[in-house]
Amino acid sequence: MRRTFLKGFAALLTGAVLAAPGAVVAETPAEFYQGKAIKWIVPYKPGGGYDEYSRLLAPYMEKYTGARVDIVNMPGSGGMKGAVEIFNSPSDGLHIGIINGSAMITNELAGIEGADYKVADYNFLGRIVADTRVMVVGKGTGITSYEEFMNAGTKVIGATGLGGSTYVDAVIVGDVFGMDQKVVHGFNSSSDIRAAMARGDVHGMWGSLGSAMKGIKAGDHMVILHSEMNPSGPLEGIPSVYDVAKMSDDPDGQAKILTAWEGLSAVGRPVAAPPGVPEDRLAYLREAFAKAMADPEFTAKAAEGGRDLAFKDGDATAAIARAATDLDDKTRALFIAAIKGEL
Amino acid sequence: MTIIEGMMSGFVQSISLGVLAYLVIGALFGLVIGVIPGLSGHFAMAMAVTFLYSMEPGAGIAFILGAHATVAQGGGLTAILFSTPGTGQNAATLLDGPPMRDNGQAGLAVGAAMASCFLGATFGAIVLGLLIPVLREVVLFFGPPEVFVLAFLALTFVAVLGKEDMTRSLIAALLGLLLAMIGVDNVTNTHRFTMGSDRLADGLSLVPVILGLFAVAEMIDLWTRGGALARHTSRPLSARDTQKQIFQGIGLAFRKWWLVLRCSAIGTTMGLIPGLGSAPAAFVAYGHAKQTAKDKESFGKGNVEGVIAPEASNDAVEGGALASTIAFGIPGSSSMAILLSGLFILGLETGPQMLNDNVDIIFIMIFTIILGNLIGTVVGMFLVNPLSRATSIRAEIMVPVLMAIIVTGAYAGDRSLFDIGVALVFGVLGYLMKILNYSRAAMLIGFVLGFAVEKNLYLALLLDGPWFIVAEPIPRALTIITVAFLGWNVLAIRRDRRRTKYHG
Repeated sequence: MRRTFLKGFAALLTGAVLAAPGAVVAETPAEFYQGKAIKWIVPYKPGGGYDEYSRLLAPYMEKYTGARVDIVNMPGSGGMKGAVEIFNSPSDGLHIGIINGSAMITNELAGIEGADYKVADYNFLGRIVADTRVMVVGKGTGITSYEEFMNAGTKVIGATGLGGSTYVDAVIVGDVFGMDQKVVHGFNSSSDIRAAMARGDVHGMWGSLGSAMKGIKAGDHMVILHSEMNPSGPLEGIPSVYDVAKMSDDPDGQAKILTAWEGLSAVGRPVAAPPGVPEDRLAYLREAFAKAMADPEFTAKAAEGGRDLAFKDGDATAAIARAATDLDDKTRALFIAAIKGEL
Repeated sequence: MTIIEGMMSGFVQSISLGVLAYLVIGALFGLVIGVIPGLSGHFAMAMAVTFLYSMEPGAGIAFILGAHATVAQGGGLTAILFSTPGTGQNAATLLDGPPMRDNGQAGLAVGAAMASCFLGATFGAIVLGLLIPVLREVVLFFGPPEVFVLAFLALTFVAVLGKEDMTRSLIAALLGLLLAMIGVDNVTNTHRFTMGSDRLADGLSLVPVILGLFAVAEMIDLWTRGGALARHTSRPLSARDTQKQIFQGIGLAFRKWWLVLRCSAIGTTMGLIPGLGSAPAAFVAYGHAKQTAKDKESFGKGNVEGVIAPEASNDAVEGGALASTIAFGIPGSSSMAILLSGLFILGLETGPQMLNDNVDIIFIMIFTIILGNLIGTVVGMFLVNPLSRATSIRAEIMVPVLMAIIVTGAYAGDRSLFDIGVALVFGVLGYLMKILNYSRAAMLIGFVLGFAVEKNLYLALLLDGPWFIVAEPIPRALTIITVAFLGWNVLAIRRDRRRTKYHG
């Protein structure tokens, strides 16, 4: 670590000398990135999805940018600390990171303390994966479908902190469909809820498809409802929230809220740079990201580890993020109430 | 794959050249990380994970788990010699380790600590192996009500921890509970004691608090006192004496096998419980050793049992902690979350698949823990001599050097400058507590367990209602034990008081 530090220091010194008056030479982004170090911030602890995706992708970002990628874990405030760090870091194109799209948007909407960033102002390199939301129920409950779930009396749904995504999903969907449920929040992590589900302390929980996969494969729990409009693979044949909404008395009203909710998960796990990065460098980074995401070696490794990929380029990701923040007043109020735990 | 087949295959793989080499490298790496104050097993693993991409599964597991397994050993070494614990798991060793050093028994203490680590780790690993057929059921044993009562039981051990008086211990423990509340409350999203600071919103991290309370406080003490770390001895032990003591220490650990066994059982059981970690295990084991000893008075003044107990239990935790990770892919601690990532990188599935098809992998883990600790013990023995020589260096040289290492350790965990501040503030607090005779151990255990107690109480109340502590059989049994333990303590204290009154 000391060596990296010294190297960085030396690079800084040389940079300062070279950047002395008159020495500014036009250089292509490829020349700029050659041999530099890109700091890649992960707003969560090592271990876990965001960290895994980042470490999996980093070698390929190195391959296509020519720079070294240093992963820095910066956990805190439910991912907000890292997101703020990315937002406020120097806009030299050497500082990027992965963020939790939907949680950062909802926190910003609700004006949560510490949400000192603007999701719409990030320079997105693109999206690694959408955060398809699924509701799973434990094997021991004997519930195997959404229908059975609705007929089974009061169900206990586990959630992490108030305003966390497992909580918001449960109360929003529960509110829209009038589910007979008791949301118990306060679990440390989604792993914690899974343990409680295995014990039979809670019946079900919401979470991302990616994290639920391990337990689905192992037969510990099964999906009964999800946010994917065009289900395939493990979700095939399982009703989506839209299918359920279609059969209700107020299909349009429900669909509107659910679309807004799904819009949040569509932001997924984007890679972002701070505002103000020079255009040529941003374009170069976006291109490198697109190439890295399409690298057959990378996709093979991701598939091997059961990690889903759903690439979107920078512009598309920005559009998805903008759409997700653009809510009508009623829906916005509903989300804010959910995040603040008032629903 | 049957369990016997898996065991054979796991053993053969563990001692094959392609795996053993990585195991040795991992174990040495962990030992070095452990020796540096503030750098934890979690840190060692996070660094080791980066190298996994090009490794075979067996070699990768041996490497990453080997690095994690020996950290407690390295930390015990510095706890005894320099009064600076590697991380939380070695904090309990501070109660009797440094006094032994001051009595000129550094070699004895380290020898006993190293051997206890090895024995504890072996115990935990064997239990893990024995539990494989019922691993899933065992893990599911502990829900919020059980964890709450167990954590509360552990908390009551503060009563016997320190050599300080009961009232001061209680004050310190309650202060620790208050410190645990700092941050945004997970349940209600309320900011508690954050004083508007974003940094405090996540609560205090364990490592800088421990470094401050013990290591920094010790440095302040040493600085104001002058002289050398090792107090009563005029000159350092000769290499030969140290070597002799080390072997005596190892012998002692084996001779006190019954204590080692009990403390290992405490460690492994607490390792099974998600979210408790190894620091409370070490303190509970210490409390247990003191409670059951005939000469309670000698604890805190350099009783070798006070070193054996925490060091046996903090390494026995490993076997228990692996259980829920293997059985369900549910990590019980941040280290286990990284291990899970590592398994994912190596292309291994946890859960039923591992229990049925990859039993050999579980046995590689088990043998890694045992062999890694054996390597740590042997190498650690060679480290004692040069390191113990440093304990007689004068304060003017020693304090700045150790402070630089401590500050770096406080920073390195989360790369946070704020944590350096936390370590310094707690250093002053720790020093004040030391000279005013308040138990730092009691405060630490309050701090470490406060979160687990509060969270599980809340969840247990929501899930099972207000009568959860007596409604279910397991919590009911645990509650009875807790009450009995407290009652017995109160009686013992009253008896002691009457006796002192009589003699006085």
